[in-house]
Amino acid sequence: NDHAESETNGQPQNNIQQVVEQDEEEDEELTLKYGAKHVIMLFVPVTLCMVVVVATIKSVSFYTRKDGQLIYTPFTEETETVGQRALNSILNAAIMISVIIVMTILLVVLYKYRCYKVIHGWLIISSLLLLFFFSFIYLGEVFKTYNVAMDYITVALMIWNFGVVGMICIHWKGPLRLQQAYLIMISALMALVFIKYLPEWTAWLILAVISVYDLVAVLCPKGPLRMLVETAQERNETLFPALIYSSTMIWLVNMAEEDPEAQRKSKNSTYDKQASQTQNEDAEADDGGFSQEWQQQRDNRIGPIESTPESRAAVQALPSNSQASEDPEERGVKLGLGDFIFYSVLVGKASATASGDWNTTLACFVAILIGLCLTLLLLAIFKKALPALPISITFGLVFYFATDNLVQPFMDQLAFHQFYI
Amino acid sequence: MNLERVSNEEKLELCRKYYLGGFLLLPFLWLVNVVWFSLYLSQVCHLSRYVIRSAVGAALWGLGLGVWVGLFQTRRNQWGALGDALSFTQPMGEP
Repeated sequence: NDHAESETNGQPQNNIQQVVEQDEEEDEELTLKYGAKHVIMLFVPVTLCMVVVVATIKSVSFYTRKDGQLIYTPFTEETETVGQRALNSILNAAIMISVIIVMTILLVVLYKYRCYKVIHGWLIISSLLLLFFFSFIYLGEVFKTYNVAMDYITVALMIWNFGVVGMICIHWKGPLRLQQAYLIMISALMALVFIKYLPEWTAWLILAVISVYDLVAVLCPKGPLRMLVETAQERNETLFPALIYSSTMIWLVNMAEEDPEAQRKSKNSTYDKQASQTQNEDAEADDGGFSQEWQQQRDNRIGPIESTPESRAAVQALPSNSQASEDPEERGVKLGLGDFIFYSVLVGKASATASGDWNTTLACFVAILIGLCLTLLLLAIFKKALPALPISITFGLVFYFATDNLVQPFMDQLAFHQFYI
Repeated sequence: MNLERVSNEEKLELCRKYYLGGFLLLPFLWLVNVVWFSLYLSQVCHLSRYVIRSAVGAALWGLGLGVWVGLFQTRRNQWGALGDALSFTQPMGEP
């Protein structure tokens, strides 16, 4: 495609209409090609996160044992009547959601008034907590499950290394793959905490409500996340690189086919050059408290790369009339960590509490991936920040309840009566 | 981050920082240093200095840790009270 484009540009253009149409077609093709690649690029991390969570749930009994609840969900579900239980779970979900809303609004306010130090401090504390404390607990439980003896010295060394290298990779500079791996691991750890400490009905309710909130927060004109994204766009900044999963890939793209929006927004773009972009992305808010909530407002965005000061400097140093086709471009997709977390919570809860066990787990997994596909498709079409939770969580919830209550009894009966279809 | 957009001087600087950081009891950092920058040994001069030292450091740590873990796992029972005090988790059941 790129090659054809440059040839057309070189030749005298007899039929401008034809060329414009060709441009549009190739544009569309490129959009869909980007879309397809991005879907694949996001499948892998999302799948990995879910696999880690499900594997842990299945093997380490600690995370399915009931050891109390978070302070954000004070009402117990061990009640005498179903009605009481329903009421309690609704109250729990309401409290949790209001905490999340408050946190998100707080984050937007802090961002608007440029209190970057506070936000960075908040993020650093919560990543410290996750990387050291929760992984320490996780490691301890894994050792107990497999009945191995381990000494404090080795454990201290392991956790210290894991944590410090994690902080370096996430907040500073590190190899991309390692950073992605760490983000997946902390999402899995967070999801495991949720799975352990949220009682059942509360968890499902929270998932449902949070996808509605996500939809509202990202798409409504006065939604906090939308305001966050727009403020970031105005200021031409990246948002919280520590809380976004980004997968970049290298493309060789002809300049004429660049995303025009990206060109407009670039700081130092000439028509021939894709300058490094500042990325508008999903804001991740998290409160970093011990009983953690990550208030995530996750969006997806296909588009310009996350720029670091170094890459910006490097690109600026390029000669301004460099051949477009020789300029390697990076285009990546970004998905907020909260999306990883809530997808994994859904699949993890399904594997922990479903009567259908693997059937239900697999059904939820497939549902979430389909939802992700659709979301990315919509993203390729609309090219603006979109919430990643609603579609996937809706599908996931529908598939969970349908499989657990309809498909599984059906299959049990079939197996019972030895009737193979 | 992607190293391809970064100048050679900055690569060297980053490698050096990773090397120095590894002295804070961080053999994993040295390992990451080796794996990450070994691709660029030919491009950046003086990089090999840090990469090789990181490799040596990581190998020594690995050896030391291996010896310690081997010792601990096999001799823990014989160490009595010290063994219990050092243990983070203790296996249950009959040996």
